Amino acid sequence: MIQITELNKYFGAHHVLKEINLTIDSGEVVVIIGPSGSGKSTLLRCMNYLEPIQSGQIMIENQPIGMIEQQGKIKEMPQKQLNLIREKVGMVFQNFNLFPHLTVEENITLSPLTLGKVNKQEANKVANELLLKVGLTDRAKAYPEQLSGGQKQRVAIARALAMRPHVMLFDEPTSALDPELVGEVLQVMKDLAKEGMTMVVVTHEMGFAREVADRVVVMDQGKIIEIDSPDIIFQHPSQKRTKEFLNKVLK
Amino acid sequence: MELDFSILLQDGNLPLLLKGLWVTIRMTFFALCISCMIGLLVGIGGMSKNKLISGICATYLAWFRGTPLLVQLVLLYYGLAISLQIDLTASVAGVLGLGMYSGAYVSEIVRGSIQSIDQGQMEAGRSLGMSHWQTMGKVILPQAVRRMLPPLANEFIALTKNSSLLSVITVPELMRAGNSIVADNFKYFEIYLTIALFYFVVNFVISTLIRILERKLHVGGVRT
Repeated sequence: MIQITELNKYFGAHHVLKEINLTIDSGEVVVIIGPSGSGKSTLLRCMNYLEPIQSGQIMIENQPIGMIEQQGKIKEMPQKQLNLIREKVGMVFQNFNLFPHLTVEENITLSPLTLGKVNKQEANKVANELLLKVGLTDRAKAYPEQLSGGQKQRVAIARALAMRPHVMLFDEPTSALDPELVGEVLQVMKDLAKEGMTMVVVTHEMGFAREVADRVVVMDQGKIIEIDSPDIIFQHPSQKRTKEFLNKVLK
Repeated sequence: MELDFSILLQDGNLPLLLKGLWVTIRMTFFALCISCMIGLLVGIGGMSKNKLISGICATYLAWFRGTPLLVQLVLLYYGLAISLQIDLTASVAGVLGLGMYSGAYVSEIVRGSIQSIDQGQMEAGRSLGMSHWQTMGKVILPQAVRRMLPPLANEFIALTKNSSLLSVITVPELMRAGNSIVADNFKYFEIYLTIALFYFVVNFVISTLIRILERKLHVGGVRT
């Protein structure tokens, strides 16, 4: 589903992602953990090219995203091509990024309608189904301002799902939430995982990682230092730094 | 000191002033349309990654903001006609001159309000598969317009007041009407006070209309 090979990314002179290699299979739930500043969010944002990369390659369903080779030169792909690949990759942000001038329903239908995927009637029907899924059918006509953080994030998940993505990226989806609202968002994500959605999740919720992840990726200082099943990562990590990190967050 | 406002009712002075007021309103309105179009183009163009486009927009802004409106009007009306034989009527030169001058200021309002919209909004739109311009049109601009309104009210009011400069290039607007009446009867205070009142009323209406518009556009959490 996603193949990342020898990815390097710099912010100016700062080398934020170093020689990243990672393959994510269809239907897999991969959780990325690591100390802040380790590059996990940046790596996730590279997967739909919200962050340009300096070298290496990212393939989504065997198609490169962002950079392509043309006549022996590596260059940025045409916007249209990029947009088509992005349709397959749903993204959920830490700060929700709902469109505040639109209702919940309009937030969900905007992109499918703008891109001419469906007509208004179908779009509303899909929106309704998705709101049912995230438990917010009664808030269809509300504006984001009127929702709690947990509700906002559930709408954001529904909005991403409306494009029928093949993979969902979650960038610290519960970090901006009050503790008592975290559960409802994680529940929606668990349901999604159960349905077989391919998911890549950057999170500090170790409970979620342990329970839902097929594999856990541990990052530190721009590198992947360990990839393994949650059982092994949480009980017998091979890396000293993984142990140190887990000791800190699980305290 | 004796004020004699009955002068307004003599020699057809009041109808002359009202006619001038109507010209002022018309000039300002057309200039405002041009100003908005230029402002949108130059404001968005100024943020372009294309160096040529952003360069042209930056030059436009620097020139029209950096030179006096009066000089621009005189160049446009007398300068073009005498040196280049491009003979614009006073009204056309006036509307163009006002519109181009004000457009420079509006472009900065447009740019500022677009840039004030959280970067995450563009990212969300792009991550949903929409293009840059689709996101700009459906997500960024609707939010930015709301934020543009208060500074736009300022700019439109300034535009109305600046239209009095058109009297210099012979447009028969309010100020010029007043000048011609005063030249006859020397009732400076009465006539200019009346004119000031007319400008005040026009600007009061503009600021009220924009405030109503602001309230109408206030949906959901879109705050300034």
